[in-house]
Amino acid sequence: MPPIIEISGLRKTYSRAFRQPHHALDGLDLEVAAGQVHGFLGPNGSGKTTTLRALLGLIRVDGGTMKVFGEEVPHRLPQVVSRIGAVVESPQFFKHFSGRLTLQLLAESAGVSKSRVEEVLEQVGLIEAAKASVKGYSLGMRQRLAVAQALLKQPQLLILDEPANGLDPAGIHHMRELLQWLAHSQGVTVVVSSHLLSEVQQLCDSMTIVSRGRRIVDGKVADIIAGHSSASLSVRFPDAASLPEAVEALTGAESGLTAVVDRGRLVVAGAPEPAWVTKTLADAGIYLSELRTETKNLESVFLELTGTAPVPGRTVQIGQSVEVPPPAAQGGVAVDVEVEEGVQR
Amino acid sequence: MNLFKSELRRILRRRLTLIFGIVMVVGVFAVATVYGFSSSTGPSEDDLAQAQAQADEMNAEFDECVADEEFFDSPEWEWAQEDPSFEGMSQEDRCDMFIGSYDYTAEDFLWTYTFVFAEESLLVLVGIAIVAGLVLMLLSSSAIGAEWSSGGMSNLLVWHPNRMRVWGVKLGAACVVCGAAVLALLALAFGLLYLVAATRGEIGTLDSVWWGDALETLGRTVVLTVGMTVLGASLAMLGRHTAIAGGVIAGYLVVGDMLVGIAGMALKMPFPDRLSLYTWVMAWIEGRMELYDQTSESIDSMPDVMVITATDAGLLLGGIILGFALLATWAFQRRDVT
Ligand SMILES: Nc1ncnc2c1ncn2[C@@H]1O[C@H](COP(=O)(O)OP(=O)(O)OP(=O)(O)O)[C@@H](O)[C@H]1O
Ligand SMILES: [Mg+2]
Repeated sequence: MPPIIEISGLRKTYSRAFRQPHHALDGLDLEVAAGQVHGFLGPNGSGKTTTLRALLGLIRVDGGTMKVFGEEVPHRLPQVVSRIGAVVESPQFFKHFSGRLTLQLLAESAGVSKSRVEEVLEQVGLIEAAKASVKGYSLGMRQRLAVAQALLKQPQLLILDEPANGLDPAGIHHMRELLQWLAHSQGVTVVVSSHLLSEVQQLCDSMTIVSRGRRIVDGKVADIIAGHSSASLSVRFPDAASLPEAVEALTGAESGLTAVVDRGRLVVAGAPEPAWVTKTLADAGIYLSELRTETKNLESVFLELTGTAPVPGRTVQIGQSVEVPPPAAQGGVAVDVEVEEGVQR
Repeated sequence: MNLFKSELRRILRRRLTLIFGIVMVVGVFAVATVYGFSSSTGPSEDDLAQAQAQADEMNAEFDECVADEEFFDSPEWEWAQEDPSFEGMSQEDRCDMFIGSYDYTAEDFLWTYTFVFAEESLLVLVGIAIVAGLVLMLLSSSAIGAEWSSGGMSNLLVWHPNRMRVWGVKLGAACVVCGAAVLALLALAFGLLYLVAATRGEIGTLDSVWWGDALETLGRTVVLTVGMTVLGASLAMLGRHTAIAGGVIAGYLVVGDMLVGIAGMALKMPFPDRLSLYTWVMAWIEGRMELYDQTSESIDSMPDVMVITATDAGLLLGGIILGFALLATWAFQRRDVT
């Protein structure tokens, strides 16, 4: 099946008075396959919102091509827009209208039935507040209204820019269930941009990580984590005195192996497999009390890839952070290729 | 069509629309009431008797003056005696000069005003339409300005990416609301004034000439108000804020027009009045306007005349409005919506 969204080489440059023009998007690529929840991840100012705005025809771009449902956008957007529901960053509404009227006006404008308004209000949990004017809505309620608006036309593609923004834990949980239900049982393709990395890990099937207006990596969430977690083993012993012995035994048995003592335990990297470690140690007469495999979570992968990993004593500045990554990923482009291969496998 | 209906509804459901609507209707009632109170067909018996008494008193004083040679000797007439012409006049002339020569009648002491519908209503109606047009211009610019400043525009564009269509529909809805509101107000005002004339004034002759003239003038005025709506909406579209549109319009009408006028005079331009927007608006409404050139050098030659017809005025005003509308269209088409 062809991808639902195909973006390649997208560029957007903001010219600034007396300063260098700013490349908000610098040749960005993005592909989203059908029926998935796709996470769109990147540090602040990396161009996520800009990409989504461009896709929806809200801003003009300076280069690149975009296709949605196989149609060239923004040129053919009017033909496909009825199948796209979207929320762009921090949605605002006319303050003196009620939530219900806001939705009704949109529904009427596109010939969506009135009963659908009540359905989506129910879906996002806004029924009670529907009569009140938007002026009195909290941040989370506005966010819910925005999602309701995106759901209104029963879209086949749902684009949500930071939908979890301002939602309470129950709201986030509910949103996650809703989006997964839409994607997995209704066949809706969902694109979610988010800052909450754990959220993406829990919610999304695949993801794209961007930094400074470029794609750094994309693929299945699990593959990306696996591909970048140089899984290490954490080994503990009943007696801390056996630590130096264990280091000796392990490094002596395998050349590429590193074993470091850290907070009363031994962190082993580069070992063939856990069973080998147990055996080697037992052969040396050392018995362990605990052995755990430690996988990196998305957060550390993300920080590594986008180069925003904190350096002691320095704050990471927006847009300046990246000098694309150290050993874990051998340069942005390489990672990109590697993971794409991973997907095909 | 759906979009058009929803845009109409969007305008009608705004609180400002309700407020302005009430203000305009109340205003029309107020105008009619003022005319109702000040107009009367004739004095009542009491008023007539009182006025007659006053007239009689004045006439009596005149008679007394003529009969009495020493009338002006009393200290209260000292001021009259000091008049240089006093000495040379006969007693009758003196009375005539200082008291009044008339045979006063009751009418001289009655100030009645009769509202004659056929003569005065047109001016009132045009005035009402223009005020309504200004209010509606504000309303239409606010409808678009608020949509920008509230962020509703980007929501709408996500649903309807064809910007030309959105702009056209918005403009159309604003014009329809404006046109309908002005016509409704005019009908109301017409009815109320007619009622006032029928009960407390005169209707006069409303023949086909009157109707032809009235319909033509009012028709042009309604077109003007719709044009003002388009201008207000275009400026709001350009400025993306109601206040900008309102500020530009008010600023030009109050200060800009004056500055241009002063500049015209400083340059000794013939017909400086033609630089004023008001001149052209008047010409458009009245159908014809003549400007006289007071700066003409030679004394004996008649002042030159410049005639502005409704067509001239229509072309100029229409051109200005169209210019702004096109500019707004162009800006909206290219603009990044964030
Ligand atoms: N209207 C604008 N004028 C100038 N620069 C802009 C404009 N909009 C965005 N940018 C720049 O484009 C870059 C990308 O912005 P964008 O809003 O897409 O980031 P983002 O990934 O959505 O960030 P966040 O995670 O904080 O929402 C930023 O560096 C920003 O400064
Ligand atoms: Mg953003």
